[in-house]
Amino acid sequence: MRKSIIILIALLGVGWVVWNLHTVLLQLPDDADQGPVYRIMFFHIPAWFSAGIAVFIALGSSIGYLITKNLKYDAVALATTEAAVAFLTIGLVTGSIWGRISWGIWWTWDARLTSALVCWLLYAGYLVLRTAIEEPSQRARISAVLQIFAFADIPIVWYSIEWFRTQHPGPVLRGSGEMDGAMKAAVYANWPALMLVAAAFVLLRLRQEEVKREIDSLRRIVHAG
Amino acid sequence: MDQRNIEFMFYGLASAWVILGVYALTLLTRERKIDAELKRLRGLVENREETK
Amino acid sequence: MTFWRHTWTVLTKDLRAELRTKEAVNASFSFAITILLLISFAFDPTEEMTREFSGGLLWIVFAFAAVLILNRSYARELPNDCLDALIASPAPASAIFLGKALSNLFLLLAVEAVCFPVFGIFYNVRWIGQFWPLLLVVVLGTWGLTVVGTMFSALTVNIRLREVMLPLLLYTTMIPGLLASMQLTVHLLAGEPLSTAFVWLRFLIGFDVIFTALALTFVDTVLVG
Repeated sequence: MRKSIIILIALLGVGWVVWNLHTVLLQLPDDADQGPVYRIMFFHIPAWFSAGIAVFIALGSSIGYLITKNLKYDAVALATTEAAVAFLTIGLVTGSIWGRISWGIWWTWDARLTSALVCWLLYAGYLVLRTAIEEPSQRARISAVLQIFAFADIPIVWYSIEWFRTQHPGPVLRGSGEMDGAMKAAVYANWPALMLVAAAFVLLRLRQEEVKREIDSLRRIVHAG
Repeated sequence: MDQRNIEFMFYGLASAWVILGVYALTLLTRERKIDAELKRLRGLVENREETK
Repeated sequence: MTFWRHTWTVLTKDLRAELRTKEAVNASFSFAITILLLISFAFDPTEEMTREFSGGLLWIVFAFAAVLILNRSYARELPNDCLDALIASPAPASAIFLGKALSNLFLLLAVEAVCFPVFGIFYNVRWIGQFWPLLLVVVLGTWGLTVVGTMFSALTVNIRLREVMLPLLLYTTMIPGLLASMQLTVHLLAGEPLSTAFVWLRFLIGFDVIFTALALTFVDTVLVG
């Protein structure tokens, strides 16, 4: 039952992304300055948004675990962090490919790019740390604390690097942003679609953690018998 | 210039799909492994209860 | 008042243990000197080059030297279950942590105190005129390194791959602190007054305050649970 719901969400998300792809590729005109390559944006920006939301949920559930000591919160933190790392990777890779054309370089140490990379390193470190601890409650406790440290580090990293020149364009969705309305709509349309895909990942991962706990208790029964 | 531009748009979009696909694949292989392990353990526990 | 007495006890105990065996300090010390000499020998930098990369070089050496000390900080307590005894003692986890952090600070400062003359001689850099501002920067940067490092040393003490996990987590989290320290060091070694780099100094102090507060808040969760 639950598995079919997850599959349904995943199919819905992927279908929506494909549908958006049709709009993006065939209906929107090329960008006046950049040409067709700007279409990477329709994955790039929603991927960052999704990763950002996942990171917030991961922080919330880590704090939730420390307060309640309920391993379900820990599973949520793990599942959302994994999804966040997947989407951070998409953001970094698509951004780099886009930058190769529109800036002429793969990478530059500007504020946004550097903080994004540090974010990726921090959360990847979190996932690596988890693999090194066997005992579930110890793992949950230690990784929850690390999650809080990682989250606190992000704004500090951001400010530390902001004092160098920034190459990445500022916000284009709000304020004095100059993005065309139809393009903006396409970015916003792709966001919930990618969020659905992310939700399917998270739900599947959560289910796996539950099954793992069941496996652990069965193992104990087998060994005890 | 234009040819490269379109090429890189393709690379960008494809890389996003590839990363999603790779992550989905790791999830699915883990799923298969976990399910097999669960089935095996359940079988063990049932066997033991029958012999008792 | 008792809190500080407990801190003092742990601090003197750790320093005494280290001074008797010298196992961490010796390794850290010889490593730092070797790297400094090797880089001087390999690149034979001019005065102009040295000025530009001095901050980066020194702080990378300090960060590597720090890990050699920090790895032993809690691991030293593992034989004979000393760590359990420490936790079971009336001293609160935060006092144990603070004592250990201060002890690591002094040890690392001692290593750095030897590094600076070596650096001055082999790279032909005159830093003695900037002694006091440089001391301030070094103490602040080293405190950031030891407070985050001692915290992560506590996080990783009971896990497999401890020696790998500590630097992995420490270096990513320390990026802003190290960046500020590097900037300030380069600035001072170029002969500029501290007052013109005040933003970085304020930033470094902020970094230290935030992570000291976070570490003191969460060390209890990590050690005791």
